[in-house]
Formats: sequence, C-alpha cells, structure tokens
Amino acid sequence: MRPSLLRRVAFNLLAWAVVFVVAFPLVWMVITSVKPQFELFRIPPTFWPEQVTFEHYARLLWETPFLTYMRNSLILSTATTILVVAVATLGAHSLVRFRYPGRERLAGLVLFTYLLPSVVLILPLYLMMVWLGVANSLLSLVIAYTSFALPYALWLLRSFMQGIPDDLENAALVDGATRLGAFFDVILPQALPGIISTSLFTFILSWNEYLYALVLVNTDAARPLTTGVMNMLISAFNIEWSLLMAASVMMSIPLIIIFAFLQKYLTRGFGAGGVKG
Amino acid sequence: MTARAVNPLDRRYALLGVMLIAPAVLIFCAVIVYPLVSALYLSLFRIFTPTLTGNFVGFANYAELMSSPEFWRSLLNTFIWTVFTLALQIIFGVAAALMLNQAMVFRSLARSLILFPYFVSTVVAVLVWRWLFNDLYGILNHTLMWMGVLSMPLDWLGSMPNAMVSVVLVGAWKYFPFVVIAVLARLQTIPEQLYEAATIDGAGAWGRFWDVTLPQLRDVLIVVILLRAIWDFKEFDLIYLLTGGGPIIATQTLPLMVYKEAFGLNEMGRASAVAVAMMLVMLVFMIVYFRALRAREEPR
Repeated sequence: MRPSLLRRVAFNLLAWAVVFVVAFPLVWMVITSVKPQFELFRIPPTFWPEQVTFEHYARLLWETPFLTYMRNSLILSTATTILVVAVATLGAHSLVRFRYPGRERLAGLVLFTYLLPSVVLILPLYLMMVWLGVANSLLSLVIAYTSFALPYALWLLRSFMQGIPDDLENAALVDGATRLGAFFDVILPQALPGIISTSLFTFILSWNEYLYALVLVNTDAARPLTTGVMNMLISAFNIEWSLLMAASVMMSIPLIIIFAFLQKYLTRGFGAGGVKG
Repeated sequence: MTARAVNPLDRRYALLGVMLIAPAVLIFCAVIVYPLVSALYLSLFRIFTPTLTGNFVGFANYAELMSSPEFWRSLLNTFIWTVFTLALQIIFGVAAALMLNQAMVFRSLARSLILFPYFVSTVVAVLVWRWLFNDLYGILNHTLMWMGVLSMPLDWLGSMPNAMVSVVLVGAWKYFPFVVIAVLARLQTIPEQLYEAATIDGAGAWGRFWDVTLPQLRDVLIVVILLRAIWDFKEFDLIYLLTGGGPIIATQTLPLMVYKEAFGLNEMGRASAVAVAMMLVMLVFMIVYFRALRAREEPR
C-alpha cells in the first residue's frame, strides 16, 4: 500500500515546517549577525536583512578580546581532549580486556561519576586550585574539566571497545604478540573510529563548558569563549545584539565542522568489525 | 558472565591491566573522589569564601537548611523544572524521531538541523533566546502579536509564571534532540514484519504506534527518561544564564542556590550543605537508573 502523492507532499511540508521551527532560533542568529545595528530596531522587524554587513564580525575580531577567548578555548579543549582520551583509551582497554578484582565495581563507579553534578565538585575544586596556586589559569580549567570529561570518555570508549571481538586479540597473541603489542597493532586500529568520535564529543563538551570557567577564572587572559562572550553581554553598556549574535555564530563554527565529521564516524563507528570472512 | 572461558594467562596479565587503568584511577581520586569527600567535610563548617577561614559547626548548616523556606522553594523549583521540561523533551523527542524515521526529502539535512540545538553551547542557546524573548525588539513578541495571539508584548523572563515557562521551553528545545538520537537509533531496529502483522490484523497508524512502536521503545525510553531526569535536575548553565534564578528566587533551582550561597553570599559551608542535600535527592534517581540498566542487560 503506497501512500498517495498528496499525502507524501503534505507530510513533507509538515515535517519541514517542524524542522524550520526548531532550527529557527539558529537561523535568526545568523540573520541578526549580518544586519546593521539600526535595522534591529525596526518595527515590525525585517526578516531578510535589507543590507548585509560584516561589520560586527570585523569589530568582534579586532575590537574585542574575542580572539583571545577563542585561543584559550582552543588550547583548553584540545589539551583536555588529548589528556582525557589518552588516559581513557588505556583505561577502557583495561576495563574490557583484563581481569582483576574490583573491575566491575570500577566500571559502575565510572558511570556514577558521569552522572555527578558539577556544582558539588566545584567548591572543593575551587579550594584545591587556590591551594595549588594555579587558580585563574588555563591549567586549572584543564584539571577541572577532566572531572566530567574523563568519566564520559571512559564510559563511551568502554562501550566502543566491547564491540571489538576477542578473537582478534587472541589471534595476535597466538601469533606471538605481547599484550601491549596486540593493543597497539590490533585493538587501537579497530578502536580508531570510536576514539575519534569520543575525541570529538569530548572536545564539544569542553568547548561548551560554562560553570567551571565561571568559578575558576576571572581574567581575560585565561577566559574561554563561554564566559568571555557572556561577559560581553553583562558588562556591555547597551547590549549590541548583532555583535553578540556574530560571536555566537563564530563560537558555533567549530561545532559545525565537527558535526560534519561526526555523522561519518557515528555510522562507521558502530560498523561490524573485522571478524567476518 | 558469558560462556567465555577463563584464560590462564589472564591472571598473569592482571598486573598489566591494573597499570593501564592506574592513570585514570589516580585522576579520578584527585578530581572526583577527593572533592566529593571534601564537600561532605566542608558542609560541617561555616566558611567565609574570600578568606577561606572558618570554624566547625557540625550539622548546623543542615539544620538551618531544613528550616529555610528558600531551600524548600529551590527544591520545589528543581522538581517543577525537571518534570515539565523532561515531559516536553520526551514528547517532542519521540514525535520528532517518528517523523525523521519516515521518508522525506533531504532527510539527513533535516536530522542535522534537528540535532543541532543539542550540540550548540548553552551560552549560544541562551544568547539567541534572550534576543528572541526581547520585550521591545524580539521577534517572538512581534510574531505572536501579528498572529493575534498576544495583544501586548509579553515579559518572557522577568515575571512569573512566564519565567518558569520560558526556562522550561528553552530547556525542552535544547535537550529534546538527545531523545531523538536515542529513539531514532532504536526505531531503525524494529523489524518491519511486526508492522506488517499489525496491519493485517487491521491496526491503523495510531494502533500500530500503541501496539508495536511504543512497547518496542519501552526499554530505551526508561533509560532515556532517567538519564535526562538526572541531567535536568543538576542543570545550572541554562537557568542561571536565562533568568539567574529570578524574578527574585522564582526560578532558582538547587544548583543555582549552591552557586549563590558560595559566591554570592560567601557561605562556602552552607553551599556545600545544599550541594550534599541535592546529591542525596539525586542518589534516588541514580539508584533507579542503575537498576534499570541492569534489568536491561540481564536478559541478553
């Protein structure tokens, strides 16, 4: 029974109307960012900009600390991702392929910490950073970010690695490889799609983090984008919405790039593995 | 345990296994276990945040909380926010997943667009929504007035109950894609024969949804609901940035109260007590979540 053409067209229209409504705030963000400031105060508002301008982007880059924030965010997210994914890959491999007392309990603990609220950890972490003398630095944020990124990456990688068949590693061991050799030559290449998507997710998580950055850092030199851009709103004399929307767009560009990657890896990451045939 | 035979080599390798997990465990102890224990400890003190000096007060912080209307109000707000935003997330999420599972033009583009709010930073989401909500120049008020729904611009964030409604709506918009991802993945594994059999038995579209789709989604939905409940319960960024807990404390949830006590009122000890109390409530959700996960894994 094929649905009639009319019903298909109607469904498509309805579905795309829904998609449009959901995506509208983001569309509006882009449109606002290229409108001249005076056009924002038109009543009724214009949908398409009468005049497209990139002055807000230029101002953002050259007249605000935006580039410093951007640099901080890039360093911070990259450092967190590399640290966390390296530690979590070894840890997940251990949780999946080795046997020792307390292993299952440890895995359960990882999941528990993944659900822990940041506000509980933030107070002692703040005291810890002050005590260590690293408060107000990117380093303090990297340390703090591991508290949510590590459980997350560990849990995700564990489920990826559980999908890799035991036979692969066993075959390598029979061929005379050591456990570590088998890990680098057999497990790592198999786990690569999982490692890549875990890295991308971890990067997004760190890129978007707000609370730790709010509490631990209060100088522009170490402020990431989230608190930096929010500060532009709070400290502004009169709020320049098109500037803020331009900042929002710029902040989301890395996510769009990652998103394009992720779709490929998400489908490939859950692929069958190399045991068949 | 599965039928996998215990390899005699396993025992010898146990040490290597422990060494591989050691860095993770060390970091865990430093940034999670120690702070967690420390939070419990701090909650027994009265500490002035700027100087970080204080004295032991035992359970006085907790006693104070129990008799503080602000604490109970925040707890109530947390539940109101969690229940309503979660309900909307689930309803929109399942509906959108069903929709995106059908044939439509440019389906993968539609999927990306639907998922995007979830990946965008909360800061970006809040900035955009605050601009949409703007009482003078916001597009939302203009559209609703043009459609005749409103006769006057609405103060979306500055008055009650609007502020709570707005926070709940933005929360639903931001987080429903998570439900879409989980449900969509499950929908694709429901065997087509089930639908064919139901159709032969005379079930309509609605009947097929109730009798085939929903029972198949049950397990996924239970886990998703619990997970999202836990995450919504501890949400800080979105509410803090949208309303700051205001007007006054009308949208102040427990995480916001922790922040306010610690860094607004400089009461580090009382803030810890609120955080610990919040943890205790969440523990109930977590235990149910673990039970559900285990129940789901056992039959396999």
